[in-house]
Amino acid sequence: MVSVAFDDSVDAAREWFDAADPHPNYPVLLDREHLLGELYGIVNVPTVIWIDEDDRIVRPCVIVPGDDLFKDFTGIDSTVHHNQLRAWVRDGVLPPQSEREHAVVPTPEEQLARVERRVGAHLARAGRTDAAEQHFARAAELAPMNWTIRRGSLPLRGEDPFGMPFFEFYGEWEAAGSPGYGSADPNSAR
Amino acid sequence: MAHATITLIDPELGEQQVSATASATSVFVSPDVIASATGWFLKPEGLCRGEVCVPVRDGALVDETGDLDVERFAAALGLPAVLDIEEGVLSIGETADARADVIATGIAPDFELPTLDGTPFRFSSIGRKKKVLVAWASW
Repeated sequence: MVSVAFDDSVDAAREWFDAADPHPNYPVLLDREHLLGELYGIVNVPTVIWIDEDDRIVRPCVIVPGDDLFKDFTGIDSTVHHNQLRAWVRDGVLPPQSEREHAVVPTPEEQLARVERRVGAHLARAGRTDAAEQHFARAAELAPMNWTIRRGSLPLRGEDPFGMPFFEFYGEWEAAGSPGYGSADPNSAR
Repeated sequence: MAHATITLIDPELGEQQVSATASATSVFVSPDVIASATGWFLKPEGLCRGEVCVPVRDGALVDETGDLDVERFAAALGLPAVLDIEEGVLSIGETADARADVIATGIAPDFELPTLDGTPFRFSSIGRKKKVLVAWASW
């Protein structure tokens, strides 16, 4: 297992890393530039991807909470994925094809949004707040349903990722039919 | 045209300072810089990456010193690019089609990222095992 944080600073990720129980015995990486968003089409977190011994993606992006902390909010039962993962690792049994064949293909607008976000993040780190904001706003216009852009940019924009801007985004996303890949729990709405 | 240093941001290479010449409306950098950031090389037959060459039809792409206008370069290939001339920042992305081609192979792309203590980690170093990638964030 490899864990990758879509965070801007080691400190932000380390808070969760240090609090994790049991402590991670696998690599925990920092992805400031959202490289895995580019390479794997990740648009939301927590996202899990299964890759076999021959580097084939046997299960593309799927939303998987590690536990049931937010179950009341998301409706996702985390044990569904835990059991599926055990079945694959121990016995090589994969979930039905229908749960694994969704496409994760970006649009040209989304690709440009990723570049805008990257420039915004660089300028925000450099303290160029006003200049950064123009790029973040453009990124949000281009990819309004991408969580890694909309919610992921909030800390760098000086906003609370658990505050009003998030709930406004969440409302938009839900009203649009919760676009993007779904969760591993077929009984959840996500 | 004035000499300038701009920051080039690449998701794999991170942030680099590169020398450029800039006017109020355009920025030129050397073809070497473009090649290292995007994999596209300027050759006599056009802009080439791997087996693919795209003929250059834009007479203003290359200046008299051989440098490339970064926005014209991106436009010639349909690459998403953001140039903030006032801030001196450039980033060039990858087309949705190119990403879709990689996804269609079904093969997991390799990558290298730092661990939280800054040590580079290459995904392929895990070798022939079942692998689970977990993307998460503090937000």
